[in-house]
Amino acid sequence: MSQTQMMKGILDGCLLAIINGKEVYGYEMAERLSEYGFESISEGTIYPLLMRMEREKLVTSVRKASTAGPKRKYYSLTKEGEEALNAFLKRWRHLETSVNSVIKQETNGRNRENGET
Amino acid sequence: MEKLKLSDKSRKFLDDLNVYLFSSGKKEEEIKDIVEELEAHLYEAELDGKPIEQIVGESPKQYMAMISKEMNIDYTAWAKYIPIIVFGVMAFMIIGDVLEGPLSYSLLQIIGTIVTCLLFIFGVFITFRYVSYHDLSKKVEFMMIILPISISMLLFILIQIVNRIYETPSVEIGGLGSILLGIIALILLIGMSLWGKTAVMLVVLIALHLPAILLSLTTLQEETQLISSIVITYIIIGLYFYGTFKKMKKEEKSV
Repeated sequence: MSQTQMMKGILDGCLLAIINGKEVYGYEMAERLSEYGFESISEGTIYPLLMRMEREKLVTSVRKASTAGPKRKYYSLTKEGEEALNAFLKRWRHLETSVNSVIKQETNGRNRENGET
Repeated sequence: MEKLKLSDKSRKFLDDLNVYLFSSGKKEEEIKDIVEELEAHLYEAELDGKPIEQIVGESPKQYMAMISKEMNIDYTAWAKYIPIIVFGVMAFMIIGDVLEGPLSYSLLQIIGTIVTCLLFIFGVFITFRYVSYHDLSKKVEFMMIILPISISMLLFILIQIVNRIYETPSVEIGGLGSILLGIIALILLIGMSLWGKTAVMLVVLIALHLPAILLSLTTLQEETQLISSIVITYIIIGLYFYGTFKKMKKEEKSV
């Protein structure tokens, strides 16, 4: 798996998590992602992902007028979306534990060898 | 649709995306959906003072391709457009020819016309796709779009020339049949104009034939008739485009 592919899978999961809370529209999602530290990702990246998730019936959308400005497309999770989110969380926690233990064990060892603390 | 106030750069990106997706054969409603969504996003982003690169990334092309990949190709629309364009061109031809007398088409003319129409459609679509995907100056864009149009024009002329040299089996249609076919062609053109909400085909049709018919009723010399009918044709078409252009400008300003 290339780095970008891995990143996409993670972004998918993060979007599902953000949508899970409450109905959100694209711009809001992008803002939230950036607040969480994903500011290096261009905001538009979310739309192809949302399109695919909508096609796979993980999310549904509804268009609503906003008080000022353009109509917004609000997304919410479907039952399949919730399942996909749970599956992602499980995969992520497993990955997180594995990566953390690798880092903990292996880099500590290297730091000792190099005489660093 | 009322257009939002956007920077020229964002507007150009949305226009390019629209043309790119359309010429890639994507579904019209899906295109409208994503373009509207991105328009809303760009609008809010610009209010917050973000540059367009922060939304579409460093390469708008790559981003356009990413979106395109997530969309289905609309084969039913293609199945609709192609016959409409082919029949439209044939209807145009038939009406012009009926005015000259009973119809007679050779196999070469019929097949040649269909093939040229298909080449024209694909040529235009591929060019539009290329132009929207690449950053070109307006001049180069214009030249590129002219290319498939002039190639198919040349092909049409070539068919007529080859048709005189080589004889292929031909279909002869009697007087009554010709008139009937002419009426069907006319109804088809009117229907297409209503569907496309544009009178351009009918205006060109009238501009091409009506002056000559009316002038033939006068006692003017044949040469004078010919020259004035050509001049009148150009004047009518020119006035129509000028009027349409002015109307478009006015609409743009009122937004």
